[in-house]
Amino acid sequence: MEKLNSTLGAVRSLRSSVRQCFEQLADGTNAELAEDSRTKFLLKFQENFNNMNAQLREVESLINGLQAPQTPYCLGQTTYLAQETAPERQALYSQLVNSYKWIDKVHDHSFLAFNNLNQNNLRRSYVYCSQKRVRIPFTSCNNFDPDHTDKLLSEINLPLTSYQVCRPFGSNVVVIVTISRVLKAAIVCKGVLIEWVTVKGFDETLDPDDLWAESRYEVFRKVQEHTHIAMLHFFSPTLPDLAIKSYMTWLHSYSKLFLEACKRCGKFVSNGLPPTWRDLRTLEPFHEECRNC
Amino acid sequence: MGVTVLLPYQIPEGKTGAQAIDYLTKRLLALGAIHTGQFLVDCETYISTPQHGPAKTVHVLHDSEYPASTFSILDNGAGKQIPLVADNLFDLLMLKMTSVYTSKKQTKIESKGARFEYGDFLIKLGSVTMMENFKGILIEIEYRPCVVLSYCWEMIRETLQGFLGMPIAKEYPAYFSQQIMNTMGQQQIHTKQNEVYEPIDTINQYLESFTNYRKQNVLPVAGGATGGASSAQNAAANMQGGNQRMR
Ligand SMILES: [Zn+2]
Repeated sequence: MEKLNSTLGAVRSLRSSVRQCFEQLADGTNAELAEDSRTKFLLKFQENFNNMNAQLREVESLINGLQAPQTPYCLGQTTYLAQETAPERQALYSQLVNSYKWIDKVHDHSFLAFNNLNQNNLRRSYVYCSQKRVRIPFTSCNNFDPDHTDKLLSEINLPLTSYQVCRPFGSNVVVIVTISRVLKAAIVCKGVLIEWVTVKGFDETLDPDDLWAESRYEVFRKVQEHTHIAMLHFFSPTLPDLAIKSYMTWLHSYSKLFLEACKRCGKFVSNGLPPTWRDLRTLEPFHEECRNC
Repeated sequence: MGVTVLLPYQIPEGKTGAQAIDYLTKRLLALGAIHTGQFLVDCETYISTPQHGPAKTVHVLHDSEYPASTFSILDNGAGKQIPLVADNLFDLLMLKMTSVYTSKKQTKIESKGARFEYGDFLIKLGSVTMMENFKGILIEIEYRPCVVLSYCWEMIRETLQGFLGMPIAKEYPAYFSQQIMNTMGQQQIHTKQNEVYEPIDTINQYLESFTNYRKQNVLPVAGGATGGASSAQNAAANMQGGNQRMR
């Protein structure tokens, strides 16, 4: 990167000396002036010309020293912007780069701000940020390449559960999970972050084109609410792979949705519903109303 | 469509059928169930005329939960039962077949009464009548979100105990604990409680109960919560055709 920077600098100075040289030439000499001033003009031009030559050589040698990057830069989805034909949208790329730079700056500033604020020991929240933690690239959360998502999902292998991966929205994944003969869930991911979950009964249809229709059964509507709570709980932009694996393990505990009695009241049915809540850590079943008392 | 359990209710001594229904209705409403209309399941039985070989029986049933369907079960007299689910035109077809199958009008039997919803449970309190004679009470409980009995039997059992106010045996009801024959005629290890439940299973349970009511002509029902032993045997014999259920 440094080499590239110095090369760009060399090109810039070459351009400025070329400009200088031509300016001098354009100014010309005063015709009435004496012979010695003409020689001066010639000498000046020669000096400029030599300068230019030297700088050109420098640029050439610097360019030769540059190496082509081993792998092409991964531009992710932004490569598609190059194929944009609508004229009013062709400027999008530069805007994108600008906002990227801006975010980068925000990140740097917030990091500095954090370090400064951290020296103040009167902490009010439990938010903890280790100094040692490496800064993770932004791209890891929602701009994953599809192969990685596939690989990650194929690694999750829980008993009595089948996974069906489809991509109705371009590269983003919708995973249809069928757990035992109890329920079906559609998990809509953006990259490897879970964006939405729809839960339906085993005998209901779960169409990837209509993921927003609710289950006709109260119990699965309740379970869906809980899956959204868990979705926020397991959300972790720093460790997205672990997040999705923990989420799947938690979701899998619903294979015994109808089979387990509530851990608190010991009953199966309360208000016509089985224990629909599963503890996020222990996976123990609770009725919704038993879970907080 | 979920798992349904049908069980005959033993009317407490000194109470009439109407009083028992009234009592159960009150308990259901107190539990938080909502009354959602009426239901009716009826059954008519036809017997083939002697000139057409060994006697065959066709049971034709209707269930108000499936208003567009007519269910029929053909019993070939040799222990094989063939279920058929058709649309309502099947009734007209049976009328055309009077030369082959004659209706045993005096055994026309039905169960009707109120329908309740409690969460995802569907509970029906049916008074069984044959030729206008009260025969007993059949309680139907369906847990709609679940398709396998062994998954939700404890939930159904707990709910039943809750509004019946009496203990229910822990074992699966007799209808579900029969062994299932596979297509090769071999017994399979898993039984019906682990199978995916289908509407014809409800019809089979009704037929089983109706057959029992028809047998005991005068006496009120004495069947336990999980059905009598006789019904289990009867059903076991019937099950040979059971695996060829309609899809
Ligand atoms: Zn509870």
